[in-house]
Amino acid sequence: MVQTTASNLNNFSNHLIASVEDLKVYFHSKEGLTHSVDGVSFDIIDGEIMGLVGETGCGKSVTARSFMQLVQTPPGVIAGGKIRFKSKKTGNQIVDLLSLTENQIRELRGERIAMIFQDPGKALNPGLTIRTQIAEVFQEHREDDVFKKAKIDYVHKNFIGAILQKYIKQRTNLIIKLMLLVPPIRAYKKKLDKAIDKLVIEALAETQIPNPEKVMERYPHELSGGMKQRVMIAQAIACNPDLLIADEPTTALDVIVQARILELIQELQKRHKTSVLYISHDLSLVRKICDRVAVMFAGKIVESGDSDTIFKNPVHPYTKGLIKASFMTHERGKLEEIEGIEAT
Amino acid sequence: MQIRDYIIRRLMILPFLIIGTSIIVFALTRIGGSPIGIYLSHEMSPAEVQEMKERFHLDKPVPIQYFYWIKGVAQGDLGWSGVASAPVIDVFPKKFAATMELAIAAGIVAVSLGIAMGTFAGARRNKFADHVIRIISVSGASMPLFWFSILLLIVFWVWLGWFPIGRSDPNLFEAIAHPTGFYTIDALLAGNWDAFKDAVWHLIMPAVALGYGATAIIARMMRSSLIEELQEDYIDAAKAKGLPKNVVLKKHARRNALVPTVTVIGLTFGFLLQGTVVAEIIFRWPGLGRWMAAAVLRGDQATIMTYVMFTSILFLIVNLIVDVVYANLDRRVELGD
Repeated sequence: MVQTTASNLNNFSNHLIASVEDLKVYFHSKEGLTHSVDGVSFDIIDGEIMGLVGETGCGKSVTARSFMQLVQTPPGVIAGGKIRFKSKKTGNQIVDLLSLTENQIRELRGERIAMIFQDPGKALNPGLTIRTQIAEVFQEHREDDVFKKAKIDYVHKNFIGAILQKYIKQRTNLIIKLMLLVPPIRAYKKKLDKAIDKLVIEALAETQIPNPEKVMERYPHELSGGMKQRVMIAQAIACNPDLLIADEPTTALDVIVQARILELIQELQKRHKTSVLYISHDLSLVRKICDRVAVMFAGKIVESGDSDTIFKNPVHPYTKGLIKASFMTHERGKLEEIEGIEAT
Repeated sequence: MQIRDYIIRRLMILPFLIIGTSIIVFALTRIGGSPIGIYLSHEMSPAEVQEMKERFHLDKPVPIQYFYWIKGVAQGDLGWSGVASAPVIDVFPKKFAATMELAIAAGIVAVSLGIAMGTFAGARRNKFADHVIRIISVSGASMPLFWFSILLLIVFWVWLGWFPIGRSDPNLFEAIAHPTGFYTIDALLAGNWDAFKDAVWHLIMPAVALGYGATAIIARMMRSSLIEELQEDYIDAAKAKGLPKNVVLKKHARRNALVPTVTVIGLTFGFLLQGTVVAEIIFRWPGLGRWMAAAVLRGDQATIMTYVMFTSILFLIVNLIVDVVYANLDRRVELGD
């Protein structure tokens, strides 16, 4: 499998970070097979913000989730296509995200590809503190950093190191939990906890959250929507990923907070040179922040290119309609309609 | 509100609740008529009956009788049990310990098995394991306790002879002291391994029989609430962080799925206490349930009132525990009002 993909990956240009090729995702429903994403292809250039625009239900979220194999199968079926991704950390190795095994994709999730979800109120676990939730990213992917920060240098080397490693990676069972209570090991555990605290505080400070030390002890319901989204962003960029997928990150927020979150994403993107796939149904917003745009309609990309060009000279009637609808340049109260495509 | 403050506040209200309960219990028991019957015999003359009534203050109005009863309870006099032919206070603690041991063992079976089965099934929705667990739990919820108990008895006592009935081997019982009345704990305190093994061995069959129904209910609840939690966005977010399936399931989904399950667990405790009556009779367990059944049949009101009072207090305490656990699991719950 890996070899066949490798030979097919030759035509991957150097300046790309990811490339979607003829992606097809179908869903089994009561009415039969729904072609949710039906042959989508687009590229994401390294370091750019790529916009994916379309109305609700056109398949943009499913496309985004396919990057991380987060589409539930069943009812979903990945019917075909490739998502090639260049992992900069592992020597620009190019992989097909769709054909990776569970463990392989897990190594990329949160580490090389991260995602910001639409509704931060739902995407944070209500039962865990902010600290616990951000800490997980470091615990899973930055084990060495945690040990380094705690100034403990014997990972893997002996019994205690093995226990501490299990603790960091959250692979504990009852016996290990009991052993963590033994005084010398407990002292190490406390050091590690402090180190994790520091990493979490740094990550929160990155997103300009005031008082990160206090915020991290809170539960999600104690924070405002904007704060929650900052926490989500902190969590997503914790490992400085190559690709950040933002799935309508401002839709659930009110207008003023939206603007601040957008600024934050833009600023972080510039500072870390992260590539961003920005998904939205809001054209004016996408125009503001994206370098290039792909317009999606009924599971297909109908138009794509430089964002300014598309806004000035839309070719496809759907894009035209979208632009007109978003700027309301025509008489008020009349929405542009186009003939729909029957989903098959 | 702080959890500690909340517990203190609830404990402060507890005495008032108990007084209220005692009035209700007293009034309801009196619906069964005067409790004098159990103390009389056919040979007594009317004068003797009258004397008996006066001795127990039963010639006074009912509200006054209540105060005599409460006064006695406050002094540690719970009345005379006609069924046991002894003061209730002498018999009650041992029987109470026996019943609690059984109910707690059944509770442990139900909670641990129920949560484990529910989680296992919920994570494997509509797979083979889920169907098997469904069959087990549906039959658990629908089989009457007395019938299931008798089945166990026939198979494991009569046919296979794996498990004994009763509460312990008489010789081993004599071998150790019984400070707590919980035989398993007594055996551990005495350091007598054989006695402990014997106590556990006797406990298994009635505990499984009694706990099966509750296991089924908890498992069904756990399964459905886990499936619901697994659909939530935060599960995808947790996966997107690169966490392995097991961590996502146990740390993220199960924790939140426990919230509704804990409420059900609190409710099943009452179910277990009721069940002890049947289980004790069938497995010859010398606990409150058996005593209670005899007391109801013979109108032994002192015993009935004590039993109902104690189970009510237990219920109040279990409720408090459930509330605290609930608030610990779901931080959005505000303790207090």
